Amino acid sequence: MEFLLNEDQLALAETVRDYLAGTHGPDVLRRLDAGDNRDPAIWQGLVDMGLTGLLVPEEFGGLGLGLVDAALIARECGRACLAEPLVDTAFVAVPWLLAQGDAAQMAAIVAGTAKPSVAHAINPWVSDGEGATLDSIDPLRNLTQPVGAPSSDPLLLDLGALMVAAQLAGLAEAMLDQSAAYAKIRTQFGQPIGAFQAVKHQLATAAVAIEFAKPVLWRAAQALADGLSSAPVHISHAKIAATDAAIQMAETAIQVHGAMGYTYEVDLHFWMKRSWALAGAWGSRAFHLKRIDDAVIGGGLAIGPDQTFA
Amino acid sequence: MDLAYTPEQQDFRAEVRAWMDAHVPKEPLVTLECREGFDQHVVWERTLASGNWGMVTWPEAYGGRGLDLIQWLIFEEEYFRAGGPNRANQNGIFLLGPTIMEFGTPEQKARFLTPMAKGETMWAQAWSEPGAGSDMAAIGSKAVRDGDHYVISGQKTWSSRAAFADWGFGIFRTEEGSKRHKGLSFILFDLNSPGITRRPIRQLHGDTGFAELFFDEVRVPVENRIAGEGEGWKVAMATAGFERGLMLRSPGRFQATAKRLVELYRQHEAEAAPSAREAVMTAWMQAQAYAYNTYSVAAKIMAGGSIGAEASLNKIFWSELDRAMHRTAMQLLGAAAELRRFDDGRMNQWLEGYIFSLSGPIYAGSNEIQRNITAERLLDLPRVGAG
Repeated sequence: MEFLLNEDQLALAETVRDYLAGTHGPDVLRRLDAGDNRDPAIWQGLVDMGLTGLLVPEEFGGLGLGLVDAALIARECGRACLAEPLVDTAFVAVPWLLAQGDAAQMAAIVAGTAKPSVAHAINPWVSDGEGATLDSIDPLRNLTQPVGAPSSDPLLLDLGALMVAAQLAGLAEAMLDQSAAYAKIRTQFGQPIGAFQAVKHQLATAAVAIEFAKPVLWRAAQALADGLSSAPVHISHAKIAATDAAIQMAETAIQVHGAMGYTYEVDLHFWMKRSWALAGAWGSRAFHLKRIDDAVIGGGLAIGPDQTFA
Repeated sequence: MDLAYTPEQQDFRAEVRAWMDAHVPKEPLVTLECREGFDQHVVWERTLASGNWGMVTWPEAYGGRGLDLIQWLIFEEEYFRAGGPNRANQNGIFLLGPTIMEFGTPEQKARFLTPMAKGETMWAQAWSEPGAGSDMAAIGSKAVRDGDHYVISGQKTWSSRAAFADWGFGIFRTEEGSKRHKGLSFILFDLNSPGITRRPIRQLHGDTGFAELFFDEVRVPVENRIAGEGEGWKVAMATAGFERGLMLRSPGRFQATAKRLVELYRQHEAEAAPSAREAVMTAWMQAQAYAYNTYSVAAKIMAGGSIGAEASLNKIFWSELDRAMHRTAMQLLGAAAELRRFDDGRMNQWLEGYIFSLSGPIYAGSNEIQRNITAERLLDLPRVGAG
């Protein structure tokens, strides 16, 4: 029993965080929004770091890492509000295809030339697909009509929900950082607004929600990696906790930014819009609450002090 | 990340479970906020000590078992699974104990820790004063050096367990004319010393477990001071960190409440509001989240890390969770919520628990203070009042 992200995991996440902070800042989001939304050079950078092969076994040229590692990197993708479809391709499609024994595209995925976008019946639409485009509030989402019959495999749903929860955690953390930074430089009544308790307490409340969503996320990722039969419940828990934290954080963030938060000028809107877009993806709040309901009230899961890791 | 218990940990769980099943009182004890109940809880502390379960993480030399934090968590889980009573000596074992372990001399450890683990001395905390609540640095009670004694004068209030406990600990101004955080010392005192008057405070629920303490030239030996003279603030902050952080409220307590709430919901499902159903699920989710977070903090500490201002996040989270769970239970009980005893004679523990839960966001540093700490120390925002 050791509930701890190891040094290798934290070092990898930090490397990705630094890389994205340097190459995928708000100026890049604005450039993408003004242009084609996707940039082959950014994608190639992710490929060169080995991230497309993160979950691909070494025999196919990948890094052969696990779902906790992938969730950590998905969180960094959320933090950077990454536009490229790394999470959908490498952390959702790859493990799902592998679970079905389908390794045909693995080498091409590692090389970055194949970017399978996976359609699941729970999602009416798919990002970066082949069909007609839809107009999402998230300007970089590239949402499309599905082509062909979507899968209804529960494993695919769980992978998608887990990785979207991880992105939401990262989005929330980024919005907290942006809001705290803004509260330190914006002055009113002769002092930074962050010195006012009314502002401090809102940010602290959002920080609590984020802090207590993260361990739920790691637990859910490990449960799926361990093949626990209860993993879907824990993934639903993670999706709800991360979504609630991100939406609460987005509302707090715009409040702290004041009128500036209501503009396109301040960077915050990219992160808010991604949060709104992902909140209902891979299962609505109602869908995930139902799974908790069946487990906890319905009695499908052992609960109580001695059942922490049931 | 390894979320499976080892066979040794599973064996330990079985050992704790067997002992608890054999020893936990079948009927709930009377509340420890009154004399009769406090005495019952002291008997329970001694029963625990007879099984060597008083404070499992302490070294064997001080009456503990020398166990690690994962074993402590397993112990706590089984304690709450079995419905173990509240710990009469929580101020001693969870707050003062770790403080003495960190700052005490070998003589102080031997003198105070062992009787604490054995349930022989019950401890009260004495932080707040009428003019020093959330603003604890405003403390005015004095301890004036006179040879090998301090002479304490002043007043403490909201002193938990002080109506019935044997000993107390607190911080006092040892440097005349000193201001704020400077010139304070952390001192332990026998509550039966000449010059101490305890005035029990009648609480919201009618019982009198905490008290005001009046000090009228109370002589306390200098060897009762923990750490150096003038270092009281540093020591008190460490103690407060233990309180908000890992030990005071272990997750099993809230997981047990969440489970009881689920059972209560099932009994009242037919007439329950839809919002109560979601609140019950939220209770389970948050109690689990708190447990995962505690396992994660325990792992960090075992790997050589420490808990800092994150303790404030913990305190906000568990105290507001506890209040929300009890509020939901009160809603589910409907008209029966107001009864102190149900018509079948059982105590309404949800009512008692709800009233107690209202103190959670206030004690151990109010949640407003915790949010300030979070904002200033974790988010690096300017201090209150800074221009």
